[in-house]
Amino acid sequence: MRRETQNVLLVLLGGALLKLALTGAYLRYVKPSLLPWLVVAGVVMVLLAAFAIAHDIRRAGRDANAIGDAAGEPECAGHEHGSRSPWMLLLPVFAVFLVAPPALGSDSVRRAGDVVSTPERSGSGAMFEELPQDGIPLLSVSEFVTRAVWGDDGVIEERPVRLQGFVVPPETPGAPVRLARMRISCCAADASPVRVDLAGRAAARIAELPADTWIEAVGTLRAGTATEANGQVPTFELVRARTIPVPSKQYEY
Amino acid sequence: MTTTARPSSERPVRPRRRITSLEVLCGVLLAAVVLRGSLASILDVPSLRTGATVFVAVCVQAMPFLVLGVLISGLIAAFVPPAVLRRMLPGHTAAAVPVAGVAGVALPGCECASVPVARRLMQQGVKPAVALAFLLAAPAVNPIVLVSTAVAFPAEPLMVLARFLGSLLTACAMGWLWMRVGKAGWIAERALRRFEGGRTTGSRWVMFAESARHDLVEAGGFLVLGGLTSAVFNVVVPTAWMHTLGGQFVLAVLIMAVLAVVLALCSEADAFVAASMAGLPLIPKLVFLVVGPAVDVKLIAMQSGTFGRAFAARFAPATFVVANASALLVGAIVLGGA
Repeated sequence: MRRETQNVLLVLLGGALLKLALTGAYLRYVKPSLLPWLVVAGVVMVLLAAFAIAHDIRRAGRDANAIGDAAGEPECAGHEHGSRSPWMLLLPVFAVFLVAPPALGSDSVRRAGDVVSTPERSGSGAMFEELPQDGIPLLSVSEFVTRAVWGDDGVIEERPVRLQGFVVPPETPGAPVRLARMRISCCAADASPVRVDLAGRAAARIAELPADTWIEAVGTLRAGTATEANGQVPTFELVRARTIPVPSKQYEY
Repeated sequence: MTTTARPSSERPVRPRRRITSLEVLCGVLLAAVVLRGSLASILDVPSLRTGATVFVAVCVQAMPFLVLGVLISGLIAAFVPPAVLRRMLPGHTAAAVPVAGVAGVALPGCECASVPVARRLMQQGVKPAVALAFLLAAPAVNPIVLVSTAVAFPAEPLMVLARFLGSLLTACAMGWLWMRVGKAGWIAERALRRFEGGRTTGSRWVMFAESARHDLVEAGGFLVLGGLTSAVFNVVVPTAWMHTLGGQFVLAVLIMAVLAVVLALCSEADAFVAASMAGLPLIPKLVFLVVGPAVDVKLIAMQSGTFGRAFAARFAPATFVVANASALLVGAIVLGGA
């Protein structure tokens, strides 16, 4: 592969990283704290390519003066011939600019099956933070499941809370519809689902919604439903729910 | 001598132009833009969509670390003369191996960063055994990885120590093994040739930029290949597997080792994945954490690209065996029968 082609590829790849970083689309793939690194990586790629291009142009000018023929491969063609691996760099470029894959959703939840993924309790032995006094507090699905599994003295069995997540329609008739989020610790490759079963009269209407519709659900925990046997998926007694626009941060961390 | 230009004599002077890679690239880009609609519809299958997301995620996550790696590698190439490196390391290779392993603490990041750095060290005259110990240790023993392991296993502080020792032992054992049986011929000649990018008269900064750019393009391609493989496995391997292994210890160790290779998780995240596997004893989890940063599909792709296939075909399986043995040994000592 010629140097020029490599440089174009680098500019494209750096541009793809910058596009993800600047549009916020990177949140579909990695955790928020990677943002500065993505910007730096994108800028470095573009700069390295720009430097090489400028260098080649200057040298071509010099060579043209010296020999009178600037055509032909640049000097380092010798050690770069036969290497086809850089073509692979086109794949992420296409994926970012042309396909822009969505954040992981209900397909990943189904794929995970009944995997038990208990979120660790933050701080050993520490009690859960008290819920704010007024209003219906918004909990992350991870926190809700953690409270349900570790027991928070029945607070969320009494007090209605709000959960936001996407709909996972039942796979088999009769199975409960689920509200779920994906949790990532580094990037989408290590994602695992956190979910609750939705119960109550409003749940039937939720089951009609297409998969991956985002909803905000208000309800309480049905006591003792997060068991080892069901993969520690608690049941959420749904009071009401409404559809919401897809949030910018679709994962929990 | 005739001055009449005959067609037949002109051909060798002006050969038919070959299609250059730049033209191929333009063609491919144009085709992709034109066919964008059908490309998107092909990918409109849930499993392919999931795979595409994981693929982009692995690439996006790893690229900054690769950039860090090639920048360090470029700095070494341009500013650290071989003599300085020789002075910094013990003269005796066997003693230099553990020093290089511990030096891995200084390179925070994923495994993708350490491949270009290790190759640069070899080019600058560091013994392959020493550079390989660094290659294996760096992704696993750096502070970021150890801290995230501590966070992932709040109830098992010994896990951090076990991981550190297991990975260090793997790196040193592979270094010493390479000293005894490794052959320089297995490493592709191009990997050891000193990079003479730019003009010999060029400044050090030109050399820095050229070698970083060259490493980035080469290793980046293989990183993408590894990311693709890992995305395929991510979608194909039923994760339910690893949660039904509780009782069978030997099977659990084997499966966790294989999963570490095929899933190619970043070494900062694998502890969280291992920790989330309920009902699994600690030692299989440790195997997962020690094997993953030392040998996985992403690394194998990058190693065969950087050091050649002959190298990767021997080094990767050997590392796999050594990493398993190290993890089991350290696990038995540090974690007991847990």
